[in-house]
Amino acid sequence: MNLAKTPRFKAGLLSSLVPFGFNVERWGYVIHRVTGVILIGYLAAHLFETFQLSMGQTAWLGTMAALHSLGPLEMVGLWLVAGSALYHGANGIRLILNEMFGMLMGKPIMPVYPYSPTSLGRNQKIAVWMITAVVLALWLWAGLYLLAGLGVV
Amino acid sequence: MAKESYSLFKESWGMLLTYLTAMVLVVVLTIHLLLESPLTGVQLDATLLFPVARANLIYFKAVFGLLLYAAVIHGVNGLRVIALEWLHPRKRAWLLNLLAVILMGFFLALGSYTLVTVV
Repeated sequence: MNLAKTPRFKAGLLSSLVPFGFNVERWGYVIHRVTGVILIGYLAAHLFETFQLSMGQTAWLGTMAALHSLGPLEMVGLWLVAGSALYHGANGIRLILNEMFGMLMGKPIMPVYPYSPTSLGRNQKIAVWMITAVVLALWLWAGLYLLAGLGVV
Repeated sequence: MAKESYSLFKESWGMLLTYLTAMVLVVVLTIHLLLESPLTGVQLDATLLFPVARANLIYFKAVFGLLLYAAVIHGVNGLRVIALEWLHPRKRAWLLNLLAVILMGFFLALGSYTLVTVV
């Protein structure tokens, strides 16, 4: 049987992107991937934009003028990129501490019903919520900074 | 027996590379932001004009070179891993790996050319 063609498999692919009803780790998993895709899109665009410098100042200024012609949309895009970078970086550090160094995780226990994972213990939850608070604060600051660039604030 | 195109052993090397480039990115981006941010008053101006005059500084070449390689390797490998999670059957993983290598090569060539030629 071709598993890939079964409705259950297809539903599984989509549901892997839906974190509703799951714990904070699942939210982190989904947001980490979404922000990663946003960042690679930005990386490609940024590489293209800086490459224009090799074509000369005029070519680069033309590209920048095209970007500026987007108006506030450009700043909204940059704000999304800033938020993505902040979350991806902060959550990435947490994941490295977890997966490479075994930090913030509880000790393994017997899998007894209702299977409360020790990896989501007090330290892990504190780390997740601290990351969320710091990222939101810095993201707000980045937004104000970009608005200042537009001369709004 | 046919050779497996998807290997957990190779994937663990990829995972290690992702972690290492992530740590490099955190360090280099922190240096970059500390040296060149509103925090220190040295910042791209409000129109986001790029200060080309700085481009030939050793700082530019070193930090941005490291940033380029770490970001491309981390980013493209990350994209490959996301696609791999959705790929079925896994025997087609070689195609995904090939696409990732081509994309990585393209990005690195573009970025390296920019770094070398911008004066």
